[in-house]
Amino acid sequence: MTARAALGRVALYALLAAVTFVVCFPLVWAFFTSMKPKDEIFFWPPTLWPSTWTLENYRALLQGKDAYFQAGSATGGQAPPSAFFLDWFLNSVIVTLGTTVISTVVSTLAAYSLTRFRFPGQRAVPYLALVGYMVPSIIFVFPMFLLMADLRLTDTLLSLILGYVCITLPFCMWLMWAFFRGVPIEIEEAALVDGASRLRVFWEIVLPTAWPGIVAAAIFTLIVSWNDYLFGRVFMNSMENLPLTVGVMHFFDGTHVDWGLMMASSVLMTVPMAILFMALQRHLVAGFGAGAVKG
Amino acid sequence: MTDTMRAWASRRRLLQGTATLAAAGLAAPAIAQTQPRVARVWGEPGPYGGVFVNGMNEWAQRSNANIRFEVEQIPWDGVTVKLATDLAARRPPALISVESPIAYQLAAEGLLEPVDDVNRAIRAQERLVDGFTLEQFGAWRGTQYAVPVHHQPCLLVVQQDLVDEFGLGNPATWNWDQFANAARVIAERRPGMAGYTMALGRNLCADYHITQFIWQAGGMTWDPQAEFRTVFDSPATVEAFDFIRRLHPTMPRTAVEFSFLQVVDQHAAGRTGMSAYWGRTMGRAAEESQALFNNMEYYLNPAHPGTGMRWSWTDINGWIIPRRDNPFIRETKEAVAYVSNSVDWMVRYSHSLMPNVGPVFKDVATSPQMLAHPFFQSKRRTLDVIFTQSVPHACNTGLELKRGVNPLAGFAHGRSVWAQAVQRMLLNNESPRQAVEWGQRQFEGVRRDNQRLLQG
Amino acid sequence: MHGIPPVRPEAKRRSFQLSDQQVGLLFMLPFLVTAAAFMIWPVAEAVRMAFFAYNPLRPDDVRWVGLDNFERILDDPLFWESLRQALVWTGWSILLQTILGVALAMLLHVSLPGIALFRGLLLFPYIVPTVVIALNWRWIFNSEIGIVNHALLSLGVIDQNIAWLSTPDMAMASAILLNVWKYTPFVIICVLARLQTIPTELYDAAKVDGAGAWRRFLDITLPMLKEVLVVVIVFRTIWTFNKFEEIYLLTRGGPGTSTFNLAVYAFEEGMANLRLGVAAAAGVIMIALLLVGTIVYVRVSGFGQEEKAT
Repeated sequence: MTARAALGRVALYALLAAVTFVVCFPLVWAFFTSMKPKDEIFFWPPTLWPSTWTLENYRALLQGKDAYFQAGSATGGQAPPSAFFLDWFLNSVIVTLGTTVISTVVSTLAAYSLTRFRFPGQRAVPYLALVGYMVPSIIFVFPMFLLMADLRLTDTLLSLILGYVCITLPFCMWLMWAFFRGVPIEIEEAALVDGASRLRVFWEIVLPTAWPGIVAAAIFTLIVSWNDYLFGRVFMNSMENLPLTVGVMHFFDGTHVDWGLMMASSVLMTVPMAILFMALQRHLVAGFGAGAVKG
Repeated sequence: MTDTMRAWASRRRLLQGTATLAAAGLAAPAIAQTQPRVARVWGEPGPYGGVFVNGMNEWAQRSNANIRFEVEQIPWDGVTVKLATDLAARRPPALISVESPIAYQLAAEGLLEPVDDVNRAIRAQERLVDGFTLEQFGAWRGTQYAVPVHHQPCLLVVQQDLVDEFGLGNPATWNWDQFANAARVIAERRPGMAGYTMALGRNLCADYHITQFIWQAGGMTWDPQAEFRTVFDSPATVEAFDFIRRLHPTMPRTAVEFSFLQVVDQHAAGRTGMSAYWGRTMGRAAEESQALFNNMEYYLNPAHPGTGMRWSWTDINGWIIPRRDNPFIRETKEAVAYVSNSVDWMVRYSHSLMPNVGPVFKDVATSPQMLAHPFFQSKRRTLDVIFTQSVPHACNTGLELKRGVNPLAGFAHGRSVWAQAVQRMLLNNESPRQAVEWGQRQFEGVRRDNQRLLQG
Repeated sequence: MHGIPPVRPEAKRRSFQLSDQQVGLLFMLPFLVTAAAFMIWPVAEAVRMAFFAYNPLRPDDVRWVGLDNFERILDDPLFWESLRQALVWTGWSILLQTILGVALAMLLHVSLPGIALFRGLLLFPYIVPTVVIALNWRWIFNSEIGIVNHALLSLGVIDQNIAWLSTPDMAMASAILLNVWKYTPFVIICVLARLQTIPTELYDAAKVDGAGAWRRFLDITLPMLKEVLVVVIVFRTIWTFNKFEEIYLLTRGGPGTSTFNLAVYAFEEGMANLRLGVAAAAGVIMIALLLVGTIVYVRVSGFGQEEKAT
């Protein structure tokens, strides 16, 4: 019996390991590629484990080296795309954080209000949010772009933040509303009866209880705005203002594709999300379980 | 500009954006006046234009114009997207050098500033190399909208060692059949190597490579001399499609995804014996593989056995200046004239991308400084083909068979109709005739949609 | 003003509600403003644009064209091709995601030492940026030097390199595979959350009755998961149908137009064909199709009844 159980356990582990290998392979392979020197990347048959480890791809990215037209002076000192990598990275960080703050704060306040107060049309709001989330971003992008053009805001990070609010706010609203509905109201009432002010109750009692929901909404917003390509492509035009997603596609253009650079930037783009994910994985499961599925 | 400075500048742009919103546009101009105004310039996709813009900045400095020209890069397959978004946002660049068909399109749309004055100031007419006219760079209804800057033909790039080894004759005298035979022989004798590589993806590059064959066979898309009638569905086009289908087995199997990048990659990695390309392939080989470079030669495109024509898709490239919402027109004109008048700067511009950009002015083409480039020692014959011999065979999709400028090609390139038509034949197994008829309907649609441009 | 009814007719509650009426509106205000500006207005504007000819190169020249844009789309074979392909891409993606998602969630639900690590790793693809995975896909599925071809060759599965992204069927399959890889974790997350709430007594009782593992899955697990699965499937269907980035970054809709979906179609109409009006009309058609999806969702999930019951 124990032998059979042990055998079953081994089989389970083997299965899990196999599945995990398949799932993780693309990223592991990207990492290995990024650590190989330029010529080894093109070896056929490919080397699985880099025979020479090098940071040259990362160095090229972070120092803005010209990997394409090697004679940098020949192009009139024009900066190669990789020179902008750090700009793009910072842009993405700013835009992502900006969007996350706006979307979560706005939706938290509104969800609280919706579940604790009564006013006409209240029932329509979550429906509206849900319908909003069904609307494809391709619908939003052109009208928003023209609006930004009228406001003379195209090619600014602010325009991107506002664009991302379009596509993240509805789901945040929905998620927060679903979450607040599940938070019992009694403690708040008791505190209010005891004479605590509404704002104090919100700050000291409601927010701490709603925290998992807020985190889930924030993660969702972070993922969406860090990943977006469409808005960045249409709204932004100057090299130094691009978000990462649009920027790295420049490595694919021109008359030379540098897979080492591509894979190094892939790795660097994934790292912030990976750290976030490791820190917040628990909330992701709990929050999405509650919000996305419950309604 | 250092990285940190640039990072700061872009942060500041965010703040400016916020300020603009907050102060309803009052704050931004106040910030902007403290430093030179930046005028954006588009070179071609890729690092074109850098040296030219350095020259423009020299003018700005000498004339205290309180202006700085800055080159902005365009993604290769995103020319139309960038153009559309920037013009729609009413923030056009101060100066553009893009693909000729797009220049013709913008000229006909009335979006460009006339530049007859600049062309007079630089005596463009007299200085132009033989075989080109000012109109070909971008004129519409008798007004000039482009200042000549360079020309670049798409030619047959050959690894001479293979041709010699297999005794395939002299590529300079090849017709279509001898060329197709050469492609077949190379592909057969060298497993893993393609005989011929052209772009066949849904992109600009494929449009260019395909139309060359159509013209050589005597076909065209619209006829400017017959009220721009759509004449794509001619037997000549069908023949060209059929020829591409014949060449297809000698190409890399992934050629249906190829664009500029992959064609050059294929050749520079030694994975094809011949390809269709502009000068860049040789530049890449010089940087990366001396052996490949030594054996690389450019030839005029193979002649059609019936017509004898060797047309080559040539960017007859000029600087164009957007008219609307462009606050830099006067300065830009002066700066362009300044650089164009300087043989020194124009030579440096040509040298910066050897041998991509052919000089368009005689004084530049023949100056000792120009001829001092090492390629003139190692690759004299090839340079002669690219810079001079190709000129009589130069036309492009906006100037088919040199029968006059048509502004419709830009629209058709936007959705790569030529490439799509060929893809229907190669991927969906339509017959050449069916694919051509599909193309005819698309082109007719483009013409109908843009009738207003043609009526003027 | 509107009389604001209390949630429950208790005296202390009423005072609590009324005194804080402004606070409630104040909390609501940012959302109302943002939603009006960034949700309702753009959609309304898109609908309006669908009736105009709008060339982005000529923002000064916008003409009313009535239903022309819609007629053009419905006459365009590429639209129907895109719709068909969108359905193929959505259908296969959802089918595979659901099967794999449930299977993997079951696998991850067992209690083993170190299972948390596997959970983390298997959920990871969900947060990998689309651009990253599209680029990786182009790299590992590269027909010349891609590792996938190498692996298949050395295993003897194939005898010459497969052109993964160059033939219509393979390109579609690669795109579907990408979507499945990236979004199966979402299904896992949702199913896992539900699995954790199923009381173990149910299984114990079934075991006593002598039901095998497969029977237990069919009789207990699946019915318990039904509700979650319905919701997840509808959500995923709509999102997958809407996806632009995955396809555009991987294949740009190619080769040919064999991986176009409606979002790529709309984008190409707007940006490549310079017809923002037609793009907007294509978007409106998408919304119409999706509204049907939403209604189905609301019906099936019982979202509406729950509200009425309280």
